[in-house]
Order: sequence, then C-alpha cells, then structure tokens
Amino acid sequence: MTNNRKPVLALFYCQNVPDGRKQERQSLEKKYGGSLRLFPIPCSGRLDPIHLLRALEEFADAAYVITCPEGACRNFEGNRRAGKRMERTRAIIRSIGLEPERVGMVMGSREAPKGLPEQVEVLMESIFKMTPSPVHHQGCQPCQYDEIPDEEKNQ
Amino acid sequence: MITAEQKPIDEIREMIAPYRRILVVGCGSCVAECAAGGQKETAMLASTLRMAAKMHGEEVLIEEMTLDRQCVKEFVLLLDDVIDTYDAVLSLGCGAGVQSVADMYPEVPVIPGLNTEFMGETKDQGYWTESCLGCGDCMLYYFGGVCPLARCSKHLLNGPCGGSMDGRCEVDPDIPCAWQLIIDRLEKLGALERLEMIYPPKDWSLKQGRGPRKIIREDQQK
Repeated sequence: MTNNRKPVLALFYCQNVPDGRKQERQSLEKKYGGSLRLFPIPCSGRLDPIHLLRALEEFADAAYVITCPEGACRNFEGNRRAGKRMERTRAIIRSIGLEPERVGMVMGSREAPKGLPEQVEVLMESIFKMTPSPVHHQGCQPCQYDEIPDEEKNQ
Repeated sequence: MITAEQKPIDEIREMIAPYRRILVVGCGSCVAECAAGGQKETAMLASTLRMAAKMHGEEVLIEEMTLDRQCVKEFVLLLDDVIDTYDAVLSLGCGAGVQSVADMYPEVPVIPGLNTEFMGETKDQGYWTESCLGCGDCMLYYFGGVCPLARCSKHLLNGPCGGSMDGRCEVDPDIPCAWQLIIDRLEKLGALERLEMIYPPKDWSLKQGRGPRKIIREDQQK
C-alpha cells in the first residue's frame, strides 16, 4: 500500500552550529520543501522532550536535534543535556511501540566541523529511507512512501 | 514536598481504555517540583497518549490542564467549567490530589497517573530523597535536624548500629549513615549530650493508630 505523503523531519538545531543562519535555513527549506521543518534554538540545551513529542504527534515522522560538538557548547553542557532529553524521549516513544530511531541527535565533530546544510543532507538521506510513522498512518501498515524522484531529492 | 513517579504507560492506557474523552490534570505544586506531574509532564503524557491512541486507531479526545494545587478545593473548583466535557480525569496529582478531585466530582472516574512515593527534599537537579515519615511527633530537635526514622535504613532511635562504615550505611553504601550525620551535627551544635538520652519506642498511634489523621484549626476557619 502506498500513499502520497512525503516523510517529514522536524529538525531542531543549535544556532551556533556552523552555517546555521537564516539564509542557510531558508535555502534548506526551499530544497526539501515540506519534508523538512527547521526549528533553530539558541542552544540545544533548550530542547525539551515535549518539543520532540509534539512534533511526532502533530506532523513529523522523525524528530532530531543537531548540537555543537562535545566540549564545544558555548553554554558548557547544552549538548549533553540535549542528549539526555533525547534519550528520555526515546524511552517514552518506545513505551508506546514507536521506533526509538524516530528521535535522535546529531553531534558534530570538533576536529572536522560540518555546516548545517551538510549535516541535514546526510540526515535527510536516512529519513527518506524511513517507513512512515504509524502515528500518521494508522491502519495502513506496512505502508511505504511514494518513491521520491531523484531530481526532487537533489534539488 | 510529596514526591511521585509516573505510572507505566501500559498501566495508564489500560485504566483509561473504557473512556473516550479524557482530561489529563496536572498539579503545579509538589509533583511539579519532582518533575512527575507539573505542566510540562502533563503535556508530555497527554501527547504520548494521543500518539498511542492514533497508532491503535482509537477515536479518543485527550486534553490537558494543570491546576496550581490539586489538593486544595479552591483550585480544584476551576474544573467546574470543563469537567462535563469529559468521561474521565487522569490525575497527575499525588494521592491526595487524586482523592481531592474525586471527592469534588464523585460522578466522574478519576484515574491516578502517578505512584506517590514519599515526603522528601530536592537534593540536586533530578535527585530527590526521603526525609520525613510524617510520624506526628517530630523529634528533629534531639537529633540535630536529621530524622533517624526517615533516613536511617533501620529506623533506629538509639543508634548507631554496628554497620556504619566511613559514614556510609551497610544496607547500601550510597546511603549516608543517618547516625553519623546526627553525631556530626550535634557535635557542631555543641549538643552531644543529647546522645546520652535513651529514646523509648515511637508512639505510632499518632501516625496510624487512630485512622486517617486530620488537623482542625478554628482560627483558620470561616
């Protein structure tokens, strides 16, 4: 069974991640259209499980956070806290039978820092391979997304 | 502060299964402080339950609301305007909060979403410890502000036992020996002579021997 809904990623990211300015954000939103919803936050430590849960409940097939590299958080431990909250959210969604992989954290490398667009590209590849969330596709499992045309992926 | 922890989701889902319109009611007092039933936790649980319902194709309405205090009638009254909309209330209050809501609305099933644990204190972020049993006859003066009933694993009124090692309890080395704390505190206060006293067994009739306890203060009444 197929449906014509594309996978949607809710992506929270620390505004201190390289190339995470408004210009790059708009460019990414244009590239991925409705498949990517970006939420800049002043520090990943601002992230709370309710943000991830609400995204999964309301529209997203997956909810991730991109943080600064370990030891590089301007607020010292924002990324460490984000990691704990991500794990808590994973435990919650696991308890209702939702795959924990639908929530995750990407922590950049301090030695080889990547900009937001590069990190999003890698992340979106795995999101496009993900099965639709049963929260938004109840009663049609196992269903798959329509194949996303290569030209659309590479726009 | 009364501490609590959320019940497992499966248990909560089983209890709310017969109902189609559910109000999740949080409490902004003790259970908010211990991150079990405050506004944030209430929103998280409601969201989780809505997702679980969607995944199982269940047609349910789950909404949330947080009262400042669930154990005080004046605050519970705020439910008057909305309670008729729902088949059941899932309370994230402590046991007292759940019963307070149930007493006010006896025709509405009020389901506990938390397991109430103990009276305690916030030691650090995300770390709560038991510090009071509510015995009804406080003896903290004699023990330098450390309660041996609540904090000694063996509840000894005439300690220490022989199992205190390097200030830790033999029951669990993570637990500081309450009697070591008592002695250290009394020493600082210059009141070590209080240790010479022999304390008789606690009169538990003040706690549980006469049924549910109550406090009546006429000066506080209308």
